[in-house]
Amino acid sequence: MKDLPQTVFVVDDDDAVRDSLRMLLKSAGVHAETCASAQEFLSSYDASQPGCLVLDVRMPGMSGLEMQHELNLRGVTMPVIFITGHGDIPMAVEAMQHGAFDFLQKPFRDQELLDRVQRALVRDAENRARLRHTDRIRERLASLSPREREVLDLVTQGKANKMVAGDLGVSQRTVEIHRAHVMQKMEAGSLAELVRMMMAVAPSP
Amino acid sequence: MTAPTPEVLALLEATLDAVVIMDDRGRIEAFNSSAEVMFGYRATDAIGRNVNMLMGVVERGEHDDHLRRCLPGGEAPMPGRGRDVRVQHRDGSEFSVFLSVGRIPGTTPAKFVGYFHDTSLRQKALATLEKERQVNRLYLDLAQVMLVATDRHGVVQLANQRAIRVLKREHAAIVDSHWLDSCVAPEDRPVARVAFRNLLVSDSDEPQQFEYHVRSSDGEDRFVTWRGVALRDANNVATGVMLSGEDITDQRRAESEAHRALERMNSVARLATMGEMAAGISHELNQPLAAIANYAQACVRFLRMPAPDLPEISGAMEQIASQALRAGEIIRRIRSLVRNEDVRRESQDINELIREVHGLLASDARVHDGKLALDLTSPLPSVTVDGVQIQQVLMNLVHNAFEAQPPEHDGATFEVRIATRVTDSGDVEVSVSDLGPGLATETEQRIFEPFFTTKASGTGLGLAISRSIIKAHDARLGYRANQPRGACFYFVLPAHQEASP
Repeated sequence: MKDLPQTVFVVDDDDAVRDSLRMLLKSAGVHAETCASAQEFLSSYDASQPGCLVLDVRMPGMSGLEMQHELNLRGVTMPVIFITGHGDIPMAVEAMQHGAFDFLQKPFRDQELLDRVQRALVRDAENRARLRHTDRIRERLASLSPREREVLDLVTQGKANKMVAGDLGVSQRTVEIHRAHVMQKMEAGSLAELVRMMMAVAPSP
Repeated sequence: MTAPTPEVLALLEATLDAVVIMDDRGRIEAFNSSAEVMFGYRATDAIGRNVNMLMGVVERGEHDDHLRRCLPGGEAPMPGRGRDVRVQHRDGSEFSVFLSVGRIPGTTPAKFVGYFHDTSLRQKALATLEKERQVNRLYLDLAQVMLVATDRHGVVQLANQRAIRVLKREHAAIVDSHWLDSCVAPEDRPVARVAFRNLLVSDSDEPQQFEYHVRSSDGEDRFVTWRGVALRDANNVATGVMLSGEDITDQRRAESEAHRALERMNSVARLATMGEMAAGISHELNQPLAAIANYAQACVRFLRMPAPDLPEISGAMEQIASQALRAGEIIRRIRSLVRNEDVRRESQDINELIREVHGLLASDARVHDGKLALDLTSPLPSVTVDGVQIQQVLMNLVHNAFEAQPPEHDGATFEVRIATRVTDSGDVEVSVSDLGPGLATETEQRIFEPFFTTKASGTGLGLAISRSIIKAHDARLGYRANQPRGACFYFVLPAHQEASP
């Protein structure tokens, strides 16, 4: 399912830098939208819009780093490419430690920016696909009855039907029926696939 | 039927009210000339007819009853007091009068006298007066200033709309209240009381000016600048005061904010270390350069397209030109910052300049876990310098010195020393020395080059700018190894000729 087109959001307080970035991206066929401040972006951003962020580290008001922090708080997973000036390397390092996708020191070659943007867009698409995938699995899990869920948990722990039947105090035949329902509802073709699904939605350690 | 005596007639003619005398059946016996004017009948025509003809359509029936009630044994022995009634002119038009009817004592059968007082005139006058009052009120309310009038005791007689808005009180809550006690901010009451008294005792008609806070109903104090005059009666006795006030709270606030911002900027300019200044400069220069690079690269891409978007390209080219000019402007500003033509040179005591920035430098020292020592020779010949610039150089040198502190120092406090001394030639040497690692030989050779830096986040401009500042003072910023170890930066300023004997 192909949804909204990918957009590069450029946030920079300098009119000329912002506009020139937009034009550079446009010349490479990349759709860009610009904001003059972090606040402006945050107030208008819709999390369903795929893309990536190109952020100036130094901005009056909310700095790029503060904005990154805010995005993290809001659970925005869009990759962030920081643009830094001369002497901002410590800030760039901090940004990377907080999960920035990449950074660029300005002025920079167009290809350097475009390569990073392309990679960031790919990453965002992957992230979103993964999220969609896990969302679907969660939906299917929610459709299971409590008994089916118990069967699923035991089966994916590697227990045979007979042991599951013993654990739950039901007949093996009943377990088989539940198990068939689980496989059907989870749209799993095999036990291996079912296990992979459960791993995908397991809370990360 | 007795005719009125001449005295009575004369009396009747003198009054402005219409006076009609009638008998117990309401037949008119006398009709004065004011009545002739009011009703349009000649006395000769009116006399002998029923008074009913003067009454308005609604009143006619009632009037008969009224008269009847005035007869002996009636319900109302002496009406005396009057009432508003509608009466009719000969031409049929009706109007309002105030009518009082009284029985003439000692008349049998009873006779009555009616006084018709033309209230339509009075009402007209009242309406005119009211209108004038409203217009005046409007003038007051339209005024962009607060207008407040009080009597000589300070009780408010009048407050316009503006005053009501500023005070956030109802009109009724202001009028009749005591101005000083209820509207003036408590802290300012003494000031306001003096101003009030001065107005009352002053002989001059010139408005007096004063300022004090008023307190609004929600407890907010507004700062008001007032002009006041005394109100005087015909005998020139002050009966009260009239105040016109302008709420300048917001204006004052803006002024003081602008003032604070200016002070902040001044102190930033004064206190920013060279490094910070240089970082700011390089950031500023980087912006137009980055924009130029982006625009130019975009142009190249557009031009390579089969059908280049020419308007887009020419827009970008224009931007390139203007950003290049912007970069040039920044450079021009930096130059003027360090050129001597813009500086103010004054005869100064260097020790004094050092003491002035000592507090700030000491806090820089604390940040670096270090200590700043002063080793000042006194007295010193005075020097002609731009004090702020020399302080900037000092701050930069001291900051650099603390930055040179090795990360793992042996627990000993890292000390930076500012020293002043008189050279053999009688000039003033200022030096900043530290006990750090000092400079490697190759570093020493390049240390004053612009953009040369040994620091991870340095700009390489601090020392270069410091050097040009010192050079603009006809002196030289130099480096020598410190004894027993560390670095020492110094400059020698020529002593002021006249001041040194």
